[in-house]
Amino acid sequence: MTWLVFTVLSGIIVGGGLGVVTTRNVVHAALFLLVSLIGVAGFYVLLLSEFLAVVQIFIYVGAIVIVLLFGIMLTRSGEYPRIADNEQWPAAVLMGLGFFALLALALLTHPNLSDERNEINLSILGESLFTDWALPFEIASILLLIALVGAVVLAREDKKS
Amino acid sequence: MITLVHFQIVSAALFSIGLYGVMARRSAILILMSIELMLNAVNINLVAVASFLDPDRFAGIIITIFVITVAAAEVGLALAIVLRLFRNRATINVDNMDLMKW
Amino acid sequence: MGLMELAWIIPASSFFAFVGIIAFGRRIPFVSPMLSIGAIIVGCILVFVVVMGRIDADPTGIDFFSRKWFEVGGTELMLGMIIDPLSIVMLGLVCFVSLMVQVYSLSYMRHDPKLAWYYAIHALFAASMILVVLADNFLLFYVAWELVGLCSYLLIGFWWEKREPVEAAKKAFITTRIADVALLVGILLLFHEVGTFSMKETFYQAQLLGAGEVSELSSGTTMIATFLLFIGAMGKSAQIPFHVWLPDAMAGPTPVSALIHAATMVVAGVYLVARTFALFEAVPNVLLVVSIVGLVTSLLASTMALVNTDLKRILAYSTISHLGLMMLSLGAFGYTAAIFHLVAHGFSKALLFLGAGSVSHASNQTDIRKMGGFIKVMPITAITFGIGALSLGGIPIFAGFWSKDEILIAVFNHRNFLFLIGTLFVGFLSALYMARAFYLVFFGDLKNENKSVSESPILMTAPLILLAIPSLLFGFSVFGSDEGYGGIGRFIFFENAHDFHFNVLLGSISVILAVVAFGISKPLYITRKFDLNRIKKYFSGLIRICERGYYFDQVYEWFFDRIVLVSSRFIAWLDRAVVNDVGVNGPANSMGWTASKLRLHVTGKVYNYALVMVLGSMIIGSVWWIMVAG
Repeated sequence: MTWLVFTVLSGIIVGGGLGVVTTRNVVHAALFLLVSLIGVAGFYVLLLSEFLAVVQIFIYVGAIVIVLLFGIMLTRSGEYPRIADNEQWPAAVLMGLGFFALLALALLTHPNLSDERNEINLSILGESLFTDWALPFEIASILLLIALVGAVVLAREDKKS
Repeated sequence: MITLVHFQIVSAALFSIGLYGVMARRSAILILMSIELMLNAVNINLVAVASFLDPDRFAGIIITIFVITVAAAEVGLALAIVLRLFRNRATINVDNMDLMKW
Repeated sequence: MGLMELAWIIPASSFFAFVGIIAFGRRIPFVSPMLSIGAIIVGCILVFVVVMGRIDADPTGIDFFSRKWFEVGGTELMLGMIIDPLSIVMLGLVCFVSLMVQVYSLSYMRHDPKLAWYYAIHALFAASMILVVLADNFLLFYVAWELVGLCSYLLIGFWWEKREPVEAAKKAFITTRIADVALLVGILLLFHEVGTFSMKETFYQAQLLGAGEVSELSSGTTMIATFLLFIGAMGKSAQIPFHVWLPDAMAGPTPVSALIHAATMVVAGVYLVARTFALFEAVPNVLLVVSIVGLVTSLLASTMALVNTDLKRILAYSTISHLGLMMLSLGAFGYTAAIFHLVAHGFSKALLFLGAGSVSHASNQTDIRKMGGFIKVMPITAITFGIGALSLGGIPIFAGFWSKDEILIAVFNHRNFLFLIGTLFVGFLSALYMARAFYLVFFGDLKNENKSVSESPILMTAPLILLAIPSLLFGFSVFGSDEGYGGIGRFIFFENAHDFHFNVLLGSISVILAVVAFGISKPLYITRKFDLNRIKKYFSGLIRICERGYYFDQVYEWFFDRIVLVSSRFIAWLDRAVVNDVGVNGPANSMGWTASKLRLHVTGKVYNYALVMVLGSMIIGSVWWIMVAG
């Protein structure tokens, strides 16, 4: 049963990813990305961290992909859906395969065969986030603020134009 | 049984796909999407390791939370940059962004 | 002590006058002569003050006033003055003649549009010439020496609108520069041995060397260095073979010729030899060279003066000849005689030049064949010029007689018979050409085209008269008086003072020769009792050689055209082809070529970079895996 779920989810993730990088249509790519990200959320459930799965859906699916679609709209990429890949794509294929081969080789040489998944206690997670990880948490919030301000500054219309 | 290495292989595959996307795509937005794929691959890896090997502290999960946060910020900023480029050059094709030479 | 130290103000005032004229002269024209003359008057007054100080301290002593200038490495460079009889006498001469010439120029140059510039350089010249005289170390001396050369260049080329002065200026500058290089090398050699530029220390070491004691100076180096110093002196003092620039320098304004090319700058070489006499005495062989050069110069120059027809050029050759006499005297250990003659000649020659300027100013020409009878229309000029001519010719009671006599005694005492004959012959020729110029210009019939000639204004005649007085009376300074002054031999001397003594035989020979020269000139040149043309026919070849200046210019021209220019062209080609194209442009070009090929890899496309980055990380990963993990 778990195997079946794992296989299906892997197919969704990898297939979605391949869809993102192969389709010529930008909007389709965004939708493929959506599929892949939902698959990743499924993985999180499989790894017994439902909280992260929810976060994944909320932020990635609910926010990031939407923002990307806004970007496509605002840059009118949707009107020219067919942007061809660049001339080095064969080399990129080789490179990607090579990288995967290298990683797989590394992972499979001494495979880690632990099979005991642990459930994540949400209250411990929350406590640790606000005690041990309080400083990174605050820094992350500042980072978000800066990114927000920077994005506004960069994206707004120039006054003179 | 499903072991850690299975997740890691899927993660590696997703990462390589994202890498290919970064190297082969022309549109800035598509490149951004590929980067998101790579980030997710890393997240899978982190969560898997946390779940299998680190039952007490879940450092991987917390880092994943941060990665998602940063990814959100990154997408916001990157799209702002793409918009600015589009406004200045009327294209988001990275072929045309080749001032960085000579 | 205190009074002597004021001497620094003498050059400083003239220098500030120069700065002031440069700053204001263009806007307020009359300010420039005022500043310049004012500064030199201050200088003249201070000379008296300094003389007082010198007499109070010790009339024949020598004092050094040095201040630290700056320090390079372990070497301290000083800025200072020497106050001794030699520098005082020179100071007096320079300041007095400068003043006379500047006053004279007020009238002579009054219509010139560049009057301010003229006075500016005059002031700068006065400042630097005084600095030459005062300098207590070789470095300062060299700086002032070059400044003097620069002023000479600027003044010769003063009328740069015309071609001739420009050429003459270049010739003078380059000729003296060649000699200056030798001077510089000599100075550096001495510095290398002694370790300081200070004259005091250098002379002390030279005296040790001369006495055969342990000295920092080695005799070989000293000989070379001293000889190089002498070459520098030859350049400035127009000794053969460097004399060629001086006759051409007459292209400048006549007052300039009087000041620079007769009375002051050209004697800087003589002054240099006198100043560094301690070195020369340590290596007497060089002194022999000095006297030979001096004798040859004065012989050749006086024959050239005898056949020339341009008044200024006659005086120029005469200057060379007398500079040669001074050198000869120095070479014959006649230190006192040389300085004495220097001063006597300075006054007389400045007077003669200013007189020549007065004549040419009035008649607009310098060719003596077209003159004659001017004594009727310009008596003051004629009389003063006559005094100068008689003084230079060595007629008794005039200044030149006494100094020439001193020189004869020095030569008689220290050199062999040939030198004495040569010196006497030079004295005779000197009297002859002065008489010739004097008679041809002022006696005979007044030609028709010169009827309008009239006496020069008071501003020009006054300096003539003022200069005539020392030309007439300066000679009596040889005699001592009872009030502590023991004659010039007891004032300016090197190591041992001596009284004036008159060698009756030598004296009478020289007097007879001079009088004969003046005597035969009148029938020869004016009344034409003798047929000059027949004499000329006998010596036509010799006269031609003299007229052409012994072909020095032609030989130099050939040398420069055929040897210097040809080798320069070769070196220029070498520079362009080898040094520039291969040595300098070569690396640059090869770099450029390599870069133009290399830059093709910089595409500017982000995904290219990403690809290479991935490749790189794969390589690093594999290496790590194989080397460490594997």
